[in-house]
Amino acid sequence: MRAFTKKATKYLVSVLIAYALLVTVHEGEFWPFSIYPMFSQAGNPWTRALVRNVSDVPEKQLWEVSNLDNLYGQPIALSEYGVDQIDFANFISKTENWDQGRLEAIPHMFGREHIRNQQLMIMSVRGRLTTQDSVVVQAFPVILVKADTTYLNPELIDISNIKSQ
Amino acid sequence: MIKSFFNQLFQVNKKQSKGELLYFRFFELFVVVYTVKYAWEWGLYLTRNSDVVLPLGIANYIDITFMFDETAAIANAMLISILCLLSFFRVQFKWQYLLALILLHVQFAARYSQGEIPHSMNMIGISLMAIALGFLLFEKRKEIIRFTFGFVYFYVGLSYFSAAICKLVGTGFTWADGRHLWLWIAEKGTDILSRTGEFQLNWLQEAALSSLALATVILLIGWITEFSGVLVWWTKTRPYVVTAIIAMHIGITLTMNIRFDAYVLELIIIGYPWDQLINRCIGKGYLSTIFNYTRVQPSRRESLEKL
Repeated sequence: MRAFTKKATKYLVSVLIAYALLVTVHEGEFWPFSIYPMFSQAGNPWTRALVRNVSDVPEKQLWEVSNLDNLYGQPIALSEYGVDQIDFANFISKTENWDQGRLEAIPHMFGREHIRNQQLMIMSVRGRLTTQDSVVVQAFPVILVKADTTYLNPELIDISNIKSQ
Repeated sequence: MIKSFFNQLFQVNKKQSKGELLYFRFFELFVVVYTVKYAWEWGLYLTRNSDVVLPLGIANYIDITFMFDETAAIANAMLISILCLLSFFRVQFKWQYLLALILLHVQFAARYSQGEIPHSMNMIGISLMAIALGFLLFEKRKEIIRFTFGFVYFYVGLSYFSAAICKLVGTGFTWADGRHLWLWIAEKGTDILSRTGEFQLNWLQEAALSSLALATVILLIGWITEFSGVLVWWTKTRPYVVTAIIAMHIGITLTMNIRFDAYVLELIIIGYPWDQLINRCIGKGYLSTIFNYTRVQPSRRESLEKL
């Protein structure tokens, strides 16, 4: 059994070396290996995304920034469209250049047949700690989606403008 | 000292028992079920991806977008399922589980190329790797079992400790400041709102948001628990620290709405000496049906003993 321990230890350590090398050259992640960095950078502002049905919202109100507790329109549950909210948030927040391909990807995620005659507003939601020890969460309208077309917020050239606000 | 550490990690002085064999088969079944589940869940979601936002793993070297095609994603899920099931029922070559792991890595890299990296599936991946290497590198049943569990204990302990170190490096000692929890509660609440269309704070979230001290204590307890993850490596401390980690996961679910179901279930399986309980049940005749069944069917017993 001692020979077994020696052999098992050798393989365990070999995997550990491979683990260390892979996570070192792949920014901490090479599934199933990871350095587990989740929540390691505390206090940073965050950006997520949500969707509202704005079919009945007056046009002049469509592109207004709002707080999370007074959002206009009706809530849309992404799970009902089979869309993962984390993927969706990343797609919205990490896209820097809203070219035609990226804009088209959004109705593709929802399925055009499911949008029908609805008008969906994609909102980028940003949270941060204030100096007064409170959390501020604001929703910025980014893209209006209809079954046949998408509109980028006219005041924004790209999402980076939102990040700087 | 190092030698004695690895001797106890791989449980070399433990007597072989039927309880250990059944326990290992149950653990293997758990890993197979989750592997197949993930392969299909990721495969069925893949067609919704249209672009790679952040390449992961193998996607750094190949264009993974070919997996966004339904046929490729489903075929991969099917292949992983077949490999796992054949392996579980011992219709196998030695490398089958390892091949399943590689294919699951491809499925993961394709599915999660969308920007945020989840970690709730890592423990299943590590466990599949442990079983795969056990079968590939060892011949005797006892050695396969002992290597598999030793490997899993080691990397599970390391993962929690690594998470704690990352927090220390990423933020420093102020990581446990309760205001950080407030910000995460708001973030995860937004995720729930986005997913379901509604969100209500629960009692613990309300309590944490109304008391900075309580929020700080919650983070501090979680962080200390992560640091103590390495105690999973020792048989004597394992049940206690695993209980603390499970409690931490329940706390994370309550405060941040993040569920680690596979982690919690696996911790329950690996954290406690279930083999001893099974042996006691066998001793009292509670599991006689299983062993009588194998007694009247020698061919079945033979295949069970082969593992």
